Amino acid sequence: MTNMGASLFAILPELVLTGAILVVILADLLLKARPGRPTAVAVLSCLGLVGSVAAIAAVPGPGAGTSAFGVMIATDGFALFFKGLVYFAAFFGVILGLMSSEIRREQYGEYAILLLCLAMGMGLLAAARNLLMLYLGLEMVSLPSYILTGFRRGDRRSSEAAVKYVIIGAASSGLMLYGFSLLYGLFGTLDLTRIGMGITRLLAGPPTGEHLALAVATLLSLAGFAYKIAAVPFHMWCPDVYEGAPTPFTAFLSVGPKAAGMAALLRFFLTAFGAPVAGAVGGFPWQVLLGILAMVTMTVGNFAALNQENVKRMLAYSSIAHAGYMMMAVAVGSGDAVRSVMLYLPIYLLMNTGAFLAVMAVRERTGSELLTAYRGLGSRSPYLAITLTVFLFSLTGIPPFAGFIGKFYLFAAVLKAGSPFFNVVAVVGVLNSVIALYYYARLVRTAFFEKAGEGEGAVALTEPSRVMLTVLAVPTLILGIYWGPLASLIERSAGMMR
Amino acid sequence: MNGSIVQVVLFYLLAALALTGACLVAFSRSIVHSAFALLGTFVGVAGLYALLAADLVAIVQVMVYVGGVLILILFAVMLTARVDEGKESNPTVGKIPGLLAMLAMAGLLVVTAVKAFGPRTVISEANPPSTVSPIGNLLLSKYVLPFEAISVLLLAVLLGAVTIASGRMRKGAGGKQEGEAPR
Repeated sequence: MTNMGASLFAILPELVLTGAILVVILADLLLKARPGRPTAVAVLSCLGLVGSVAAIAAVPGPGAGTSAFGVMIATDGFALFFKGLVYFAAFFGVILGLMSSEIRREQYGEYAILLLCLAMGMGLLAAARNLLMLYLGLEMVSLPSYILTGFRRGDRRSSEAAVKYVIIGAASSGLMLYGFSLLYGLFGTLDLTRIGMGITRLLAGPPTGEHLALAVATLLSLAGFAYKIAAVPFHMWCPDVYEGAPTPFTAFLSVGPKAAGMAALLRFFLTAFGAPVAGAVGGFPWQVLLGILAMVTMTVGNFAALNQENVKRMLAYSSIAHAGYMMMAVAVGSGDAVRSVMLYLPIYLLMNTGAFLAVMAVRERTGSELLTAYRGLGSRSPYLAITLTVFLFSLTGIPPFAGFIGKFYLFAAVLKAGSPFFNVVAVVGVLNSVIALYYYARLVRTAFFEKAGEGEGAVALTEPSRVMLTVLAVPTLILGIYWGPLASLIERSAGMMR
Repeated sequence: MNGSIVQVVLFYLLAALALTGACLVAFSRSIVHSAFALLGTFVGVAGLYALLAADLVAIVQVMVYVGGVLILILFAVMLTARVDEGKESNPTVGKIPGLLAMLAMAGLLVVTAVKAFGPRTVISEANPPSTVSPIGNLLLSKYVLPFEAISVLLLAVLLGAVTIASGRMRKGAGGKQEGEAPR
């Protein structure tokens, strides 16, 4: 058992996180009703997450000897990058939860613990290289998500959203499992790499009934991923869940699980199908299928967002659209495309969490999520209005902000694919960005150019909100101008895929 | 030869049991009947596993699904109010689109299964070796990571179930919890 230590290092982030979960549970129990309990729980949770991010650095790369867990989870740069990203998303989720009055103080411990478990699930999902691990990761993300969506007990919208989420989640899990079982039946293995070899072999031979089974299996597997990243046609849960769930959790949900799902989708298609096979005419038109899904997803998301009066709901539809933009690049599947998704997600994490934080701040003060609550926000709370504008314009993808860089790389990767089909996809993407400008700008216009109604006084920002808004807005601005370090980190990470 | 005929007959009986159960679950007017019909599906599937010489999976199917999940579902159904009114508890909506979707999906899956895996008869040996110890070994060697990860998942689910249920229970016990929003 000489490599036992090395093997354990491969799952060090998970080990740290598990330790953190246990410590937080104990702390939450021991502190009982002390006034400082939520803060202590939050500090411990954040320390655990930061420790896990730090532990990622200690994970030996795939070249450093075999690991006992290597057959289940990848330790390549791609996996580690996404692990870090989703832990950061959970970090913001923990902090936002502490600031929100939607999470009751005596329940905050459970909220934090569930978020930590979710973080672990997301990390496993992003790194899974075995269908069993992949499915387990997916459920580890889904089950705590259902609970956290229905966290506001006694709130009808919250409960209804949770039930819808469970039903759609269970249905897509079932479809995905059926697909996996077909894959196992075809290739006799759950290992993605070996499935990839099997697919290459199968596609090289003459067409048989097994080709059909492969097509059906992939279609069904895709259902599970589409549900996790809220892509059409598995997006129906998204607006209701985003609206009904507590806002800090919505902020997290729109980013973390989406990033993990995107990572799993990329790995699934790139490892099992491989970009060259996917492009082959004799093979399956997966690229076309994903490309069409991407176009439909962004179009549905953007058009539905146009006339939403509830800002949270609008952001939900906008997040569907963003999943569509990223799926464009997933469809291309080239090295550039993978890197562009990896660049887009951290930026999306900052701007989308920021936008939801602003929604949360307005809700804390006015008790409303409707567009009308934002009237005259520019004078009622200038700082909030300005940072909200930064996040919204960044989400649109307007130049000096980070969102522009992210979108630029996405579109560049799609255009680089060179085929007429992907040119069409890119044009649809650009048109969609223009549509998106309308509803983001509408919110900005409401905030700055509409007069506040009677009795709508100043929205006083609490000090933590101000700090967090700054923490999210400053990188959104800086990354728009100086994204070199992030890009080079991604360059290094993506180079290690597999 | 005799053994194989018995197996084939058993297969069709078990498959019929599972399918009838599933149809009853879906089409029954009363949710109580649906819950009970689920028993047929679970037992039928367990029998199919046994026919495939997957002894552990068959036992787990009976113990977990029949002994645990089904009982839980029955409790939940029985404790639900207005359970006797068939139309109230288990209404059918969107018959035609539902039927079309079902037929399309079933057709696709059946064609796929037949085309890819062919009509082959799988007859297990007379005394197949037990799968318990290989599965146990795999769980603690190759699959140890998922095995351990499940424990964290179960912890989360346990905690979540308590969180969601406890408020209702406390409210039911006299509503001592202050600040609870009315439903």
